[in-house]
Amino acid sequence: MAEALILDSEAINALAQPTTRRVLAERAAAILRVAHQKRALVRVPAPVLAEVCRGVRRDSAINHLLNNPGVRVVELDRATAQQAGQMLARLKLSSAHAIDAFLVATALQFDTAVIATGDPDDIRRLAAPFPRIGVFAL
Amino acid sequence: MGTPAAKLSVSVPGELAEAVRKRVGAKGLSGFVARALAHELEREGVGTLLVELEEQLGPPSKADLARARKAWPKR
Repeated sequence: MAEALILDSEAINALAQPTTRRVLAERAAAILRVAHQKRALVRVPAPVLAEVCRGVRRDSAINHLLNNPGVRVVELDRATAQQAGQMLARLKLSSAHAIDAFLVATALQFDTAVIATGDPDDIRRLAAPFPRIGVFAL
Repeated sequence: MGTPAAKLSVSVPGELAEAVRKRVGAKGLSGFVARALAHELEREGVGTLLVELEEQLGPPSKADLARARKAWPKR
């Protein structure tokens, strides 16, 4: 199994609209470059799209990014969703953190992975038991 | 459902063909090649995105790159 860079909503928004989110985009571009050097795959868990897609007129930049063949959306399957639920239960977190848990559960599908996120504290808590997952704060 | 599988005829160096057959066997060759081709196309896509980003933002700073490398877990 390969290495992967997993993008959260902040990373997607930053990469989709780099000039309006310049600082975040510069950081996202840096982790993307390192991922490319490592031949890592770039993945977006499908539930993250619920946080970034807000209608046809506003989604053109997001769709441009997602139409890039190097940025692939990962469907959420039963096993991954159940694993995410178990992570939430372990930390006594509510389902308000479900997408954070989906990010970590998706990262676990790879040998090693980095999650690029604007919400590093919660992701770090969820990923703490898994040394093969890194967290990159935007 | 995806499109039907297509047959490709390619030539590769003999040593490479031998190494791949040794690794995956004759039956696993198609899957191995398909994954490799898909991965290469994805890498090209990310490369294109990096060019677009650099045109708009300039190159990443050394500090951001160092932090990004540090974030990557050891294999």
